[in-house]
Amino acid sequence: MRSVKAIFIKQLLDIIKNRMVLIQFVIFPVVALVFTELVAKPSEEMADSMFVTMFACIYAGMTVLATTAGIIAEDRERRSLRFLIMAGVKPYQYLLGIGGVMLTASLIVTVVFGLMGGFGGADLLKFVAALMLGAVASVLLGATIGILSKNQQAAGAMAMPLGMILGFTPMLAMFNDTVKKVFGIFYTMQVDMLVNDFAAGFLKPALVILANVTVLLVMFVAVYTKKGLRS
Amino acid sequence: MIQMNNIVKRFGSQTVLTDVTFAVKEKEVFGLLGPSGAGKTTIINILTNQLDADSGSSSIGVTPMEMGLMLDEDGLFPRLSCLENLNVFAGVYGIPRRRPMEALASVGLEKTSKKAVSALSKGMRQRLALARAILHQPKVLFLDEPTSGLDPGTARGIHKLIQNLSDKGATIFLTTHNMEEAVRLCDHVALLHNGSIVEEGDPVEICERHNAVKMTPDLEAVFIKLTGVDLA
Ligand SMILES: Nc1ncnc2c1ncn2[C@@H]1O[C@H](COP(=O)(O)OP(=O)(O)OP(=O)(O)O)[C@@H](O)[C@H]1O
Ligand SMILES: [Mg+2]
Repeated sequence: MRSVKAIFIKQLLDIIKNRMVLIQFVIFPVVALVFTELVAKPSEEMADSMFVTMFACIYAGMTVLATTAGIIAEDRERRSLRFLIMAGVKPYQYLLGIGGVMLTASLIVTVVFGLMGGFGGADLLKFVAALMLGAVASVLLGATIGILSKNQQAAGAMAMPLGMILGFTPMLAMFNDTVKKVFGIFYTMQVDMLVNDFAAGFLKPALVILANVTVLLVMFVAVYTKKGLRS
Repeated sequence: MIQMNNIVKRFGSQTVLTDVTFAVKEKEVFGLLGPSGAGKTTIINILTNQLDADSGSSSIGVTPMEMGLMLDEDGLFPRLSCLENLNVFAGVYGIPRRRPMEALASVGLEKTSKKAVSALSKGMRQRLALARAILHQPKVLFLDEPTSGLDPGTARGIHKLIQNLSDKGATIFLTTHNMEEAVRLCDHVALLHNGSIVEEGDPVEICERHNAVKMTPDLEAVFIKLTGVDLA
């Protein structure tokens, strides 16, 4: 437990001082705000909050994924992780500490998104819950990529295209039904459905996301067991 | 305390360690000497379980918690300050919160405690890495070329610190290609060449054995005599 706490504090301090990462957390809420204020909606039927939900989904799908992968890859590349492990930190404790910071940051960002979208009460709760489920899936996928990549560059090369696909498909699905069907099995699509229609059932999309989380968790454990974080 | 028996290590087709055997007693300052590429870092990596040998056995008589490491790569968190870097490890070890500051003071970095690692000079980084290695007052300390690339003044400071730690009962395993440093610091040295130990023992005795005592014992001459290879 004290190791998880130490890693958590380390990562928190690091994020606060890492402008490149901080910008990633701030950029999508800011862009969403700018779009909402300045850009006309494509059609009158769409909700006022459409840009907020769109960019919130991109955040949960892409930013969380790429940042998690980048942090782990950097710690490996600089051999910092090796010193932590030699000091007795278990790899899972390391991942809990890093994941904990990512999810804490995501909680703040998604609440900000939610308030920007004008949601309140149960809707805000659903909005945040859906995005946080997505963030959990992204942390797992990001950690898997972080373990598989030798350095930050390799992690970026893997995380960026994956994050783009996961983060942007919900947006493309607005214009194309095939995309919607094909990518419906991925968590980002379901998160998008949830935050765009609070009236529709929460359970089914949430179950699909949980299925995603389960698959990613299994994948993560498999990669982790095989490759570990030692080298 | 530390033991290596008939260790063989290959990287692909290159055999780096052909047959390495030695033992380090408790509270000894042990120096592993050899030119660049001899396999010193490889030996430390095998001893500390970061690397598997192809055959042979090795052991260190302490738990990971009782071991301090200063490796060829420092692994410091670049955006965190000196103190924050040590605080992370103090948290992991669960040791008193005053220890990081004490460790910084012992390497002369107390005034730099708030500076980010990315803004440190090479020598300062190296001293910080040493502070992290001694933070939890380990029983066994591995130092991979602790003074390489440092100015003589800073190097002397580190020598004094190593001496101090040794006086307090720590077992110290260091690597160097600085023979003078080895004679000054070590109770026991081993000379590594072509993948095996070509000579070991008390540095002064070794020099006497090989008639290499000039004004000061000259390990360098022993090495050249044994291997025909110059260290510099
Ligand atoms: N991971 C690796 N893969 C392939 N070869 C390696 C690897 N690590 C070390 N070697 C090789 O093993 C040999 C010994 O390397 P090592 O780092 O142990 O030398 P060293 O004595 O520590 O040298 P230096 O004084 O320069 O630090 C070198 O020829 C090096 O190229
Ligand atoms: Mg080396």
